[in-house]
Amino acid sequence: MREARDVAANANPEQTMADEKLTLEAVKKLAADIGMTRLNDTHLQDLLRATNAAHARRKALDMSGLTYADEPAHILDLTRGDTQ
Amino acid sequence: MTDFAWLTVAEVSALLRSKKLSPVEYAKALIARAEKHDKHYNAYLRPTPDIALEDARRAENEILQGRYRGPWHGVPYGLKDIVDYADLPTTAHSKILQNNVATADAVVTQKLKAAGGVFMGKLSTHEFATGGPSFDLPWPPARNPWNRDHFCGGSSSGSGTATGAGFLPAAIGTDTGGSVRNPASMCGVVGMKGTYGLVSRRGVVPLAFSLDHVGTLTRTVRDNAMMLDLIAGYDAQDPASANHATGGYTAQLGRDLKGLRIGVLRHFYAKDMQADAEVAASIEASVQKLTELGAIISEVSTAPLQTYQACNRVILLSEAFAVHEKWMQERPQDYGQLARERLMGGAFVRAADYVNATRLRRKLTAEFHALFDHVDVIVTSSSMDPPCRIDDPQANEYTYSRQSRAPFNVTGSPGLSVPTGFTKNGLPLGIQLVGKPFSEALLYRVAYAYEQASPWVNMHPTLV
Repeated sequence: MREARDVAANANPEQTMADEKLTLEAVKKLAADIGMTRLNDTHLQDLLRATNAAHARRKALDMSGLTYADEPAHILDLTRGDTQ
Repeated sequence: MTDFAWLTVAEVSALLRSKKLSPVEYAKALIARAEKHDKHYNAYLRPTPDIALEDARRAENEILQGRYRGPWHGVPYGLKDIVDYADLPTTAHSKILQNNVATADAVVTQKLKAAGGVFMGKLSTHEFATGGPSFDLPWPPARNPWNRDHFCGGSSSGSGTATGAGFLPAAIGTDTGGSVRNPASMCGVVGMKGTYGLVSRRGVVPLAFSLDHVGTLTRTVRDNAMMLDLIAGYDAQDPASANHATGGYTAQLGRDLKGLRIGVLRHFYAKDMQADAEVAASIEASVQKLTELGAIISEVSTAPLQTYQACNRVILLSEAFAVHEKWMQERPQDYGQLARERLMGGAFVRAADYVNATRLRRKLTAEFHALFDHVDVIVTSSSMDPPCRIDDPQANEYTYSRQSRAPFNVTGSPGLSVPTGFTKNGLPLGIQLVGKPFSEALLYRVAYAYEQASPWVNMHPTLV
């Protein structure tokens, strides 16, 4: 199962942060950009798989029933003392 | 010894109050049981027999002097090791927090202490309530009391194992995507995740702030209701705490189910995912039992399971990475592989995706709660598969997301996992009851009626 994911993860040479499939080199650069500079090759493989899995989750968000006015689930509630 | 191991909280409580059982004698028996067997099950990350005996002696003196505090006086309990107990490490089962000594009690700990509970120890968890079962951490993973070669569920793994194994009658767990209900279903015990905000999360290591719940694991429905009675309540210092009346969770136990409207959420386990045949058969048999008990059964439907799961995961990954980013920058090598991979998934989730997931969450929650215009309680699956072997990483990876618990972290609904028997191989099965917000007493009523009409509560594992 993991092998299959690795193959899929390395299949696409073009990438951006929101792309479905990143390469190891690309994810290494993205990680460094947010201060994750201590990742070894094993950690980067973990990050690559995790990022691709997260992108799949993002794609599965079904936003089709929402309008531009639909609000997030949690917003500041000033009746509960959030001003303090 | 065996009699002590399987006493319920309700039974123990009555024996202690009437002075027919000594809290010290009882605690010693459970400590001895864990010392004999837990090397094979790893439920305890840090047993605390000295504290337990001190608590038990104090309880004994107070009860003998007529200063009985209530039903938890002298009753043993354990805490998942992401819950603070002052002056003890809260490790989250991780090298990252190995030396993180709590400076104060979590609110749930305060309540259990004030009630005179006997603290038995810190219980194993998946690393940071997400990475497990893992063999590359400072402590081994908990194992299934019904067969130690099998997974016990998680992330409140030690809580499930300890209650299922008869090491203690009640434990605290936490649930962000199903982590109380999963070990409950896999260890053959009862697990409740109440309404979001019902139980204070203060003093608990966060996984994902807007999805985290503190929950209860016990061997019986009544015990579970008793524990929720104790720990539920408003906490002004927990921003998510619900300022809502709590308690009375045992009040409806024993009432029949005649005329109660129960909706079966079947597409989660029969269409969106195909549950294992034994799991599906067990759910259907349970629905049949509820029918025989007088419930009016109908089928209900909502958005596909995968939509809820995606919503849960995008929120969970984003919020969890916000907690872990600094450690991922400075100490990535100190995580176990599973936690590192699962937590790093939030590194590159876009802000718009997170906000959109919370917008979807509001819609899903409204739609789901509308179902309760037509039914009183919903029955659905908990795990899609029986417990797999703990040493099979591919099987664990496969079954990890095959569950229908995460939707109710999205909606904040109360969810109760109830044992429904065993596979042909003797591994536990369970169903999940779900209700509208703050309907915990009703869920316990249904679960209790089912429990009393079924043989499962009287079946216990034989430990090695």
